[in-house]
Amino acid sequence: MQVNQTKSQFVAVASIAAELSAVMEVAKEISLAAANAKAIAFRAGEKAKGFQPITDFINELAKDTIELVNNINEYAFHLYRLTVNEQRMTEACRRFEKVGQLAVGARYADSLATPLQEVRLRTQICHREFIIQVSELLIKLADVMHPARAARVIAANSRIEASQAGEYLQSLQAVAESVDNAAQIINDKVHKCRSALTIINVAE
Amino acid sequence: MRMTKIYEGAYQWIMFGRDVHKPEKIIDTNQYMVRTANRCLLIDPGGIELFAPMLAAVLHHAPVEEITDLFASHQDPDIISSLGLWDQALPNAKLHAATLWEGFLRHFGCETIEYVPIPDHGGVINLGTTELQIVPAHYLHASANFHIYDPHAKILMSGDVGAALEAPGTPVFVDNFDMHVEKMRFFHQRWMPSNQAKRAWIDRVRKLDIDILAPQHGRMFKGDDVKRFLDWFEALQVGIAV
Ligand SMILES: [Fe+2]
Ligand SMILES: [Fe+2]
Repeated sequence: MQVNQTKSQFVAVASIAAELSAVMEVAKEISLAAANAKAIAFRAGEKAKGFQPITDFINELAKDTIELVNNINEYAFHLYRLTVNEQRMTEACRRFEKVGQLAVGARYADSLATPLQEVRLRTQICHREFIIQVSELLIKLADVMHPARAARVIAANSRIEASQAGEYLQSLQAVAESVDNAAQIINDKVHKCRSALTIINVAE
Repeated sequence: MRMTKIYEGAYQWIMFGRDVHKPEKIIDTNQYMVRTANRCLLIDPGGIELFAPMLAAVLHHAPVEEITDLFASHQDPDIISSLGLWDQALPNAKLHAATLWEGFLRHFGCETIEYVPIPDHGGVINLGTTELQIVPAHYLHASANFHIYDPHAKILMSGDVGAALEAPGTPVFVDNFDMHVEKMRFFHQRWMPSNQAKRAWIDRVRKLDIDILAPQHGRMFKGDDVKRFLDWFEALQVGIAV
């Protein structure tokens, strides 16, 4: 039971790390798209006046996302360390119990009682901390959804602004499109992270 | 786990091995313990699969809090993959192992146990009432490799040097050297990479007064068989895979 539990923790933590690095990539793409849009809007001059502040805003959002993900990555790494420790301690408990069976009648068999008790206690503490960290991570992940959601709204606005940009219409529309796509992807990835974490929580 | 006392004086040497519960596909190993009045050194404490029977056997001789020192001759899993478990079990212990292997051995888990790095030229392990010498045996077979010499007990724990692959339940001492040779030949030719390293080791070891040569696999050599082994090993061409 215990061993399977840490196994599923490993899988969950690994998949979170994978999703997060994908989010990071997408956020970097958004910030590239923002820079691109800014250049186009600059060339378009008056025709894309409404577009200029939007590009700054997109860039802000990308930056926010990158920062949040960096922060979350630290949490995810901490979760990974906790999982490794818990796995090691769970394994130690199992082996110490085996020693207890094999050492029946050994003169110093009792001396293992304290280490066994301590490792059991440490395992519990570690698991409790894991649970706390998971719920904090869930909150942080909800934070990442915000810029992504805002980006979708902005993408919609950008389309409207783009329609007034004459010959720049197509390039600005493409920018809006790619921001929208990226925001959608981030949304999906973060959802995946959250459901991976929820699976661990449910396993409690 | 079979336990054999191989030295009894002001302190003891005990050999552990021939574990009947050992999973079949895992290589059989010898572990050694030096037990003083209130401290205890485990030499090449063994693989992770062996941890439970090994500690259970050790508890016949010492309580966990008196296991103060571990030594790993090199980094192989059959030597020390149990480290992460000892790390959870021993409240005050040191691991003596090569400086060169530290970054690797820590993969097994070494948080509570203090890693005492051994420089290339070797050193000593001080157990309070007695002091053991750490003898360099590099490239035999690992890049950084050490043996333990006890000048009082006249025992050289020689890691994989002198190892033989044997059937389960085999006796602990060589009784017929000529017959034993065939169980060692391929192992030494294939595992030991360097004739030059071998020669340097033999020169060093010939200067030591040795009653028992105690390898990590197979049987120990006693008395004249120690010299026979050194002569045989000296003549053997090693590093045959290239
Ligand atoms: Fe080895
Ligand atoms: Fe070995």
